[in-house]
Amino acid sequence: MVDVIKKNAKAVQESLFSSVGSSVLTIGTSYLVLNFFRGMFGFVMSSDKDWLAVLNNMQLYMVQAYPESDFIRVWISVGLTFVFSGISIGLWRSDDRSNISVMFDRFYKLGLGVLFFTIVAPTFTSYMGNDGSVITEEVFSRSSRIGMLIPVLVITVGFFLLKNRKINFSFNNSDAVFLYLSIPIALIWIIELPTIQLDQNKDRIIPDPLMPIANTTKVPWTVIFVLFLLSYFIGIYFKEVKRLKNIMSISWFLLPLLIFSWIFKKPQIEMAEVLTGDIPIFLIFFAVGLGTVLLINNPIVKKYYSIYIGVVIVATIAGVFISIPMLAKACLLLLGLFVTVVPAVSTSQQGKKSLIIIWAVALVTLTFLLRGGASETGIVVPGSSIFGGFSLTWLLAIFGTYVSFPLGVLLALGRNSKLPIVRIICTGIIELVRSVPYITWLFFASVTLAVFLPAGVEFNLIVRVLMVTAFFSGAYFAENIRGGLQSIPKGQYEAADAIGMSPFQKIGLIVLPQALRAVIPTLVSSAITAFKDSSLVTIIGLFDFLTIGKTVIDNQSVPVNFVGHQRENLIFVAVVYWIFTFTLSRRSMKIEKRLGLGER
Amino acid sequence: MKNAMKYLLFFRNVVFLKWAFQVIFLFGILSIIWNYIQNAIVNLADTNIAFSWGWLGETPGVSVAEGMYTLPNSGLQMIQTGMINMFRITLTGILAATLLGTFLGIARLSSNYIVEKSSTGLLEVVRNVPLLVQIYFFQAFVLSFPRLEVFEVGEYFIHISAKGLAFPWFNRGPNAYLLMVYTLIVIYIANKIYKWRVELLEKEGRDTKPFLWSLGILGSLLVIGWYGGFRAAGVFGFLAGYISLGLESVPAIVYQGLVSGVAIYIGFKVTKAFIDSKKSEEAQGIYSDDDYFKIILNVVVVLLIVLLMFSSIGAGFAGFLVGDEITFKADWGLPQLFHGIENKLDWYPHIDLEIYEVIEGMKKAEITNWLIKPGDNITEGQVVATAYATGNKIGKQEVELKAEYTGKVESLIVEEGKAIKIGIPFYELEVTDAAPFVFSRPKVEKVNETSKFKRYAKGHGKSLSVGYFAIWLGVVLYTAIFISEVVRAGIMAVSKGQSEAGMSLGLRRGALLRLVVLPQAIRVMLPPMGNQYLNLAKNTSLGIAVAYPEIVAVGQTLYNQEGQTLPVFLIWMAFYSSVSLTISSIINYYNRKMKIVER
Amino acid sequence: MSIIQAKGVKKWFGDFQALKGISMEIAEGEVLVICGPSGSGKSTFIRCINRLEQHQEGEIVVDGTELTNDLKNIETIRAEVGMVFQSFNLFPHLTVMQNITLAPIWVRKKSRSDSEEKAMELLNRVGIPEQADKFPGQLSGGQQQRVAIARALAMDPKIMLFDEPTSALDPEMIKEVLDAMKELAKSGMTMIVVTHEMGFAKEVADRVMLFDEGMMVEENTPVEFFDNPKNDRTKLFLSQIL
Repeated sequence: MVDVIKKNAKAVQESLFSSVGSSVLTIGTSYLVLNFFRGMFGFVMSSDKDWLAVLNNMQLYMVQAYPESDFIRVWISVGLTFVFSGISIGLWRSDDRSNISVMFDRFYKLGLGVLFFTIVAPTFTSYMGNDGSVITEEVFSRSSRIGMLIPVLVITVGFFLLKNRKINFSFNNSDAVFLYLSIPIALIWIIELPTIQLDQNKDRIIPDPLMPIANTTKVPWTVIFVLFLLSYFIGIYFKEVKRLKNIMSISWFLLPLLIFSWIFKKPQIEMAEVLTGDIPIFLIFFAVGLGTVLLINNPIVKKYYSIYIGVVIVATIAGVFISIPMLAKACLLLLGLFVTVVPAVSTSQQGKKSLIIIWAVALVTLTFLLRGGASETGIVVPGSSIFGGFSLTWLLAIFGTYVSFPLGVLLALGRNSKLPIVRIICTGIIELVRSVPYITWLFFASVTLAVFLPAGVEFNLIVRVLMVTAFFSGAYFAENIRGGLQSIPKGQYEAADAIGMSPFQKIGLIVLPQALRAVIPTLVSSAITAFKDSSLVTIIGLFDFLTIGKTVIDNQSVPVNFVGHQRENLIFVAVVYWIFTFTLSRRSMKIEKRLGLGER
Repeated sequence: MKNAMKYLLFFRNVVFLKWAFQVIFLFGILSIIWNYIQNAIVNLADTNIAFSWGWLGETPGVSVAEGMYTLPNSGLQMIQTGMINMFRITLTGILAATLLGTFLGIARLSSNYIVEKSSTGLLEVVRNVPLLVQIYFFQAFVLSFPRLEVFEVGEYFIHISAKGLAFPWFNRGPNAYLLMVYTLIVIYIANKIYKWRVELLEKEGRDTKPFLWSLGILGSLLVIGWYGGFRAAGVFGFLAGYISLGLESVPAIVYQGLVSGVAIYIGFKVTKAFIDSKKSEEAQGIYSDDDYFKIILNVVVVLLIVLLMFSSIGAGFAGFLVGDEITFKADWGLPQLFHGIENKLDWYPHIDLEIYEVIEGMKKAEITNWLIKPGDNITEGQVVATAYATGNKIGKQEVELKAEYTGKVESLIVEEGKAIKIGIPFYELEVTDAAPFVFSRPKVEKVNETSKFKRYAKGHGKSLSVGYFAIWLGVVLYTAIFISEVVRAGIMAVSKGQSEAGMSLGLRRGALLRLVVLPQAIRVMLPPMGNQYLNLAKNTSLGIAVAYPEIVAVGQTLYNQEGQTLPVFLIWMAFYSSVSLTISSIINYYNRKMKIVER
Repeated sequence: MSIIQAKGVKKWFGDFQALKGISMEIAEGEVLVICGPSGSGKSTFIRCINRLEQHQEGEIVVDGTELTNDLKNIETIRAEVGMVFQSFNLFPHLTVMQNITLAPIWVRKKSRSDSEEKAMELLNRVGIPEQADKFPGQLSGGQQQRVAIARALAMDPKIMLFDEPTSALDPEMIKEVLDAMKELAKSGMTMIVVTHEMGFAKEVADRVMLFDEGMMVEENTPVEFFDNPKNDRTKLFLSQIL
């Protein structure tokens, strides 16, 4: 025991007090950090803060004015995301195991931290009142400090003893996620906080009753957690099925589309239109695709196949100008894509089978989306837009990335192209877009863009914001991707030329896969930046997550007065943003490491 | 026959396909742009707001919360105020962020556990919260302090209230510009002397003490400057006066011709050099299709510039430089610009004294009696005129207008009996006696004797508005964090071998960092550092969120007033593009310089 | 009937003239070795044959098709000419099998199963069938170069170009690549090999050429070339390299 202390003492001395300068730095920094913590503690606990302003407005934060009657749609969406995550974690379950003492060590350190901060937390805090006088009040009484110290001490010592005992039990790192997550799920049933309750006359019931946190949402959260767990086991069960992994990857790509259309629309579909319009078109196109796949190996078909592709492309272009149902136009476009990939893929029976399945699924999805999209929505929201609060922030971040990424790839390819005119134009677009701050582009979207659109065409502000975001993030993505393109040696292009690949095959099969893989970390950080930047829409008056905290709650005066409680809400907003960006960046670091391993 | 086949099959020719594709692409893009412009023309015609720049010359009916001209006399002057406000944040921000970032970057590499962990903690917090949230929080933080009205009138050392932050400061007097130019010259001279002494040292091999010499000369010249020597910089004002006079007689067409001439000259030079390089014996004058394209592009660009110069755009541009109705009021024409320099940098600077708010609610003043005449010597505080102050709230009251500086009256701008708005100059003064900089402490004062409102007194210490404080702190902290990452990566990029080599020479850790690691790391750091500076400059645009009147906020105010969204957007674009271009060319310049040193 | 005819081929890189009028004919099944100091234009010349570089004057006819700007001709020639590079240029993101089957599937539009069968056959021929599912980064340099040869052969070329195939290899791996090339030469493939491996030239080549400063200095049978060079430049070159 003495040895351990001696060893630790020596390590501490070496790292903190190795020289006079180092000691001064240590003491100075510790002083600053401690005072910062004490200040923050006092700030959070002092009585001029009303944290109910945050707690009472959770619904507003998440979905703003989305009608309560349709909340089930939001819950299903959230649940779906968790189910997908569960399956994915199961499918990609890592084989890394850690000993349980690692977990004990983690809790022990956490306990030590809490213990330390409980000891140094200030008893009194002072702040300046409205009249300029300094008010001092007790925020952490001696009894509550002792009341907290004792259990924490006991728990910490317990974990210390457990950690030092050599317990031969290890667990899978992926399993640990569920163990950790079960803690907050348990806590939302146990911990009780004051809430604001209104009586029949819309008056506040005083004193505030204590309720479990997430009082109205604890059941759905628990159900989702159970589903999460179940889907995890399903994932583990199908771990060896390689095809499922591919399906999951594509599903992750499609999931946001599904969720947003699901929240956005409650389609009121008329059966007659479906029977007379959609189903016949669907059947015709399915038959054409089926025929193409089945007859592809016929020598006559093979001979005239390029003419067939030409006819389809001409029909697609013609379809844009003549008046046929929207579904037929979209199907023609899809058919054009389909017939160009068929020869390459349908070389085996297996390939043909999957092609037919893909064709059917794509057609069904398209029909479904178009019919749903064209119909009236059954969800009525007060105000201008269905999306508000956190759901708007996510919509902007995810769809911003969705639309800007392909554009970024195109711009990067253009800027890296050997064709001078294309290069000059793409360079011009990228540099022009990048040199101007995002907020000016947002103003462009909100006030100027309408000027450039044809008379009578009007887009929702969210759509306009997405349009400029496509270009803005696209230009940044393009610069990152260009870095990847430049990292590809010239020999790769030459080798592709030498085996006779066409320019498009060269880009699609050789250049892009390598370039994108090389820049994944920077792309993730660009996506994180896009997520943070989405908060700027608050300036042009969209009701995103930040607007709720900054403006909406600060203006609530009836029935409960929250005017002047901006700081609490801003801190909450900051914490939420922090959690998401921090986790994302940590995840990306891990993915980066994993990719680095896969390459060798 | 074979040749005929070659031409017949032109659609299979790769060179033809390459250019055909590009021409189609170009026309596609151009037609899309043209389509949108057509839409804009139709739409603007419908809304009765014709696209125009005229509003730049008109007096906007709004004021700016802080900055160079709070009551701008023209749209252009208002935009100028916004630009200067933006530069205030950008320049001081770059300085502060670099210092703080370097410090944090080194701290993150420290072997001291607590120092390393706390700086990493700060990094993780600041980097992962959107900048806008941070700026809002700083704003809310300052706003949560009591209103200024609850504090006693008097001087303070550091003061913070819901109105902002105030601290002691050296305030600029009328002679400040002279001293600043003088200091720049002195630094230049000291630098030259240092180089001269070093040359001498290398030539003669004796210790010529270059550092001591340059420092001594710098110090003595600065002392001479402080005690009046700074007036030597007045030679610039003198010159600027003559340049201004000369430029006044230059008609607009000269500028149009000059720019076209320069474009033709450069285009000709570049093209000729290119053709010459192809004429060499080895190359034998063979051109590839890309070479032809380069030549054609040169010609097209030159032609475009000449055409533009002699179209309405070029005329507008030249008018801008000459000082037409748009630029004249804001002193943006070249003659007015040099005249402004003359006024600021003359042996004794000339300043226009403006009508100020003597009592609260005063909107206009009507001079009733001038107590001075041109050529009079006046002292600070002397009553120069009596006037009727008018305003909605105060009716008509008699007030005295006092001299703000000691000097010689040059001319009276306003006649007796004429009513002028606050902020309009009413007499011109040649300041004879004023310190370049005055150190003072902040002072809380009543807006006027009878008012219950208070303010930070002008010219006493420095007061930062809430918006200024929030946006400044926000961008500095945010950029500093990213700069710390750049610094850290730069230092880590310098190979470990370098550190070991330095240590084997017996260098201490600090000296090692200063002499071996940092000079090499700076080379790695420069380009990403430049990116961070660009980001900082762009992020200042968030000032609009906290009502800090930088160019975006000012632009928004203006288009709300005038309805001219498109011109305002073009101004934003031009402004930020040139700022980006400037910063990146400065960084590129140093980058190149560093690389030459390397070889 | 010669399969490649070059007449007065000239090529400039900016101010620098890399080829100063090369003329030659190569018969079907012939193995031609080109050697010469670096910068002599030998690599540039064979890169002109499948249009990785574009010659500016002169005429190159491959198997009756002239190399012009005509897209169709370029496609035809590239399909008939396989190339092996000094730095292998395998696609690092694809497995060995995918590297070899990529061109047959996407360019020749053959079925995947046929291509894979062919690829296995080729891998057997170059002696590394067991590496089919590895990534290029996991192979040694010699193995990578053999995969590159298999990749070129997968297109059933009539002519194979080798651009210093052994210069980037460690000495112990050179032999395995040369063996694969010898085996190929014996099978009757038309080959143009730019190399400094004089042993290979002596053993396999039908003709040896020396390039210097963009010109062909000497053209001879291997025996004559090494034992009885006509040109002083050749003597100097041989004295430096042997």
